Amino acid sequence: MTSEAAPAAGATTPVLAVRDLKIAFAGRPVLDGLTFEVASGEVYGLLGPNGAGKTTCINITCGLLGADAGSARVAGLAPGEGARREIGVVPQEIALYRQLTCMENLLFFAGAHDVAVQRRRERAERCLEAVQLGDRADDLVATLSGGMHRRLNVAVGLVHEPLLLILDEPTVGLDLEARQLSWELIETLRRTGTTILLTTHYLEEAEALCTRIGIMAGGRLAAEGEMAELRGRIPAAELGVIHAENPGEIERRAEGLGFEYRTAGDAVTVWLPERRRLEQVAEDFAGLSVRSLSVRPVGLEQIYQEVTAVSGRLAV
Amino acid sequence: MSVVAQRILLELWHTRRSLVFWVLFPALMLLLFGLIYADGEGTGDSFDDMAPSILIGAALFFSCLSGVITVLVGERERHTLKRVLLSSLSGRDYFMGIVAAFCVIAAGQAVIVYGIAYAFGGRYHGSLLLGTVIVILSVMAYVGVGFFFGARFAKSTEEVNGPVSAIGVPLLVLGGTFFPPDMLPSYLYKATHLNPVFHMNEALREVSAMGAGWAAVADHLLFLAVFAAASLLAGTRSYQRMMAREARL
Repeated sequence: MTSEAAPAAGATTPVLAVRDLKIAFAGRPVLDGLTFEVASGEVYGLLGPNGAGKTTCINITCGLLGADAGSARVAGLAPGEGARREIGVVPQEIALYRQLTCMENLLFFAGAHDVAVQRRRERAERCLEAVQLGDRADDLVATLSGGMHRRLNVAVGLVHEPLLLILDEPTVGLDLEARQLSWELIETLRRTGTTILLTTHYLEEAEALCTRIGIMAGGRLAAEGEMAELRGRIPAAELGVIHAENPGEIERRAEGLGFEYRTAGDAVTVWLPERRRLEQVAEDFAGLSVRSLSVRPVGLEQIYQEVTAVSGRLAV
Repeated sequence: MSVVAQRILLELWHTRRSLVFWVLFPALMLLLFGLIYADGEGTGDSFDDMAPSILIGAALFFSCLSGVITVLVGERERHTLKRVLLSSLSGRDYFMGIVAAFCVIAAGQAVIVYGIAYAFGGRYHGSLLLGTVIVILSVMAYVGVGFFFGARFAKSTEEVNGPVSAIGVPLLVLGGTFFPPDMLPSYLYKATHLNPVFHMNEALREVSAMGAGWAAVADHLLFLAVFAAASLLAGTRSYQRMMAREARL
């Protein structure tokens, strides 16, 4: 795990500070010393496969679950000290009252979060504008499209002006168009300075939206940083991905050329220390049983695989 | 009024279907039974007798008991309960908000039932305060039972209607909702003293139709108070268990 502090740590209280969080279910540790911070204005991506403990971390942060050890504080407040007021959660599912209008949904949740009566309507209007539903304020939720449901779902999370907005797997199960719309909305929120904790197992989502990324493995962070820092985990200019009938001979040739590589099934990913044209890579591996060859930049997917594989090896 | 009560009433207003049935069913039952039991001297006495039991059995039973179950099941189906749990709203506020909403609905139904009875010569003869206490205790009892079943057993809206009809309608019949309980065979008459609907009906009928006072209905009130407290306790426990189950994203 990296020990870098959040950008604003030390100067100001981080919006979210998770420290050495531990919890086990039926003797199986789910969180095992999870530590990270989210500074004001950040979009922090918490990455991990299903069952990695992302949602458990959110449940503890919101006070829905008690940790065995450690703490999760929002603006310095523990869940029992009023932290819940500072958190807006957008769950995976659409959680709206279909037989109420958009405005009525927002007014209800503003009231449930104890927003002062005289400010509720103003807050609701601003949130509707923020998600571009200002002209649908008086429409019943049941009459809205799926994309509009998603946007209103986010607006409800914002209505009480939380310091931290938690988006739990915001695009899981969405088609490409809906996912793109969700990304645009998150990007808009990021530009307005909303502090966001985003959990996802879509790597491209984290790469596109997050200012910093934490990768979970084994109940803790296996790596953390901005995308540029994480790229340093794989010291390669580019990656050559070679599918071959006999991956072993690709591995031997890569070793001969002094390249690092990783093998998964019939695919060998070769770490190219400098940029090379596709033809040059093809020449390097000429005469072998290559079925396909491509050259691609180092992405979060490879970093993620590398980090979680290393973490897995360490855990063993 | 609490935000929860407002929200439930607004939803009902927008859907209207439940509201229509909660008005239409007791109105039709009151008209039918009021006219069936009318004698040659007019409909006044029969509507005096039927208004209280129709309010308790045909109106409040379906609105406050089935309605509460529907509200809870709906919250779970729409995932909104989790969102409410994540707000500053306490479990007690949520619970009391539902009780308040159904008290408002009960008041509306009482106005409609007695309005129809009035049009046919029926009158309310007793203490308004005592009648209100009986109605509130009845609403509490129904809401408690509704919470118990809604939080513990009902998984979907479709699961609600069958059991409520299968168990509830016999209780209404035995409780004297549609005919005087002294028409029951003696063994059923004795057994129905354990039926809370019987005590609701008898208490309100004695106050409303005969002008009985506190002392005359004390036994019914005591039974109702104990039953309402027990059902609210059971409902609260089931509700707390449900909250603990639902409190995960």
